[in-house]
Amino acid sequence: MQWSDALAIALVLSAGAAFLLGERALSAAEDMRAIYWLAVGVVSLNAAVQVARPGAKA
Amino acid sequence: MPASSLFDRLVARGAPAQAAIAGGYAWAVTVAPTVWERGAPVIAILADGVGLAALLASAVGDRLWGGRGRAAALWVFVLASALAWLSAPAALRPTRLDTTRGLAGMAGWALFALASAGPALGERQEPGRVVDDAPLEARNRFARGDVAYPLVGGAVALGLQAVGWGVTSPERALLVRLVALAAGLAIVGTAAEIALARHAPRAPRSWKARMRTVGGPLLLLAGLALAGLLFASRG
Repeated sequence: MQWSDALAIALVLSAGAAFLLGERALSAAEDMRAIYWLAVGVVSLNAAVQVARPGAKA
Repeated sequence: MPASSLFDRLVARGAPAQAAIAGGYAWAVTVAPTVWERGAPVIAILADGVGLAALLASAVGDRLWGGRGRAAALWVFVLASALAWLSAPAALRPTRLDTTRGLAGMAGWALFALASAGPALGERQEPGRVVDDAPLEARNRFARGDVAYPLVGGAVALGLQAVGWGVTSPERALLVRLVALAAGLAIVGTAAEIALARHAPRAPRSWKARMRTVGGPLLLLAGLALAGLLFASRG
């Protein structure tokens, strides 16, 4: 496993954690906090895909 | 009973079995509860029974009169279900019908409509013309460890479904479920994409070129983390 694979997996897991926090905030009617965590989740997933793409690997 | 045998028998039954399974599910979730009401009208009870009988009779109708017999029996089932609802409207009030059961019922009727209009499975129309050959060889196979990616993604997606079931407002509860579903799908899709990317040819690239591709999302992520820290420090 290359470093980029490990980083991509870590980013996916962190996206899952961010989505979880976003959902909890949404359930508690804390909309600003929910938007923040959901945005973090989306950006983390995007970063994971970019990191894992073959073109981005050495 | 082996799975293949069950599958073969379901295929042999054809369209009536598929419509009956989906219709039976929709009936059990949305129509049958109308007779559980205390003091349910006799018409509702009768319509419930007629609907179920018509659903079961659709297989007989298909055997005796073909597609027309099946269609007639299924229409009797649908009309009897509508009559049961009309005669006991209290069973469909939002206070009686919770969200989960309502969604399950909608899915059941959609499946019934799909199975009735376009059955997915059918008997071989001309078995004599079918040539059984050796199974096709797969062009590519999963490498060891690939399965772990969608499995982990699926586990995370399932974990997201565990949150937000105690929300009292129906609109917010629905929003939470939608967000959980969308986030879960995105995670499973990304996990699968990462697994596939492992097998694609990798061209050697310079550090600068690599950072041009990866740097943007990582910088954005760092910016969001910084903003979160600032937001948290201000209380």
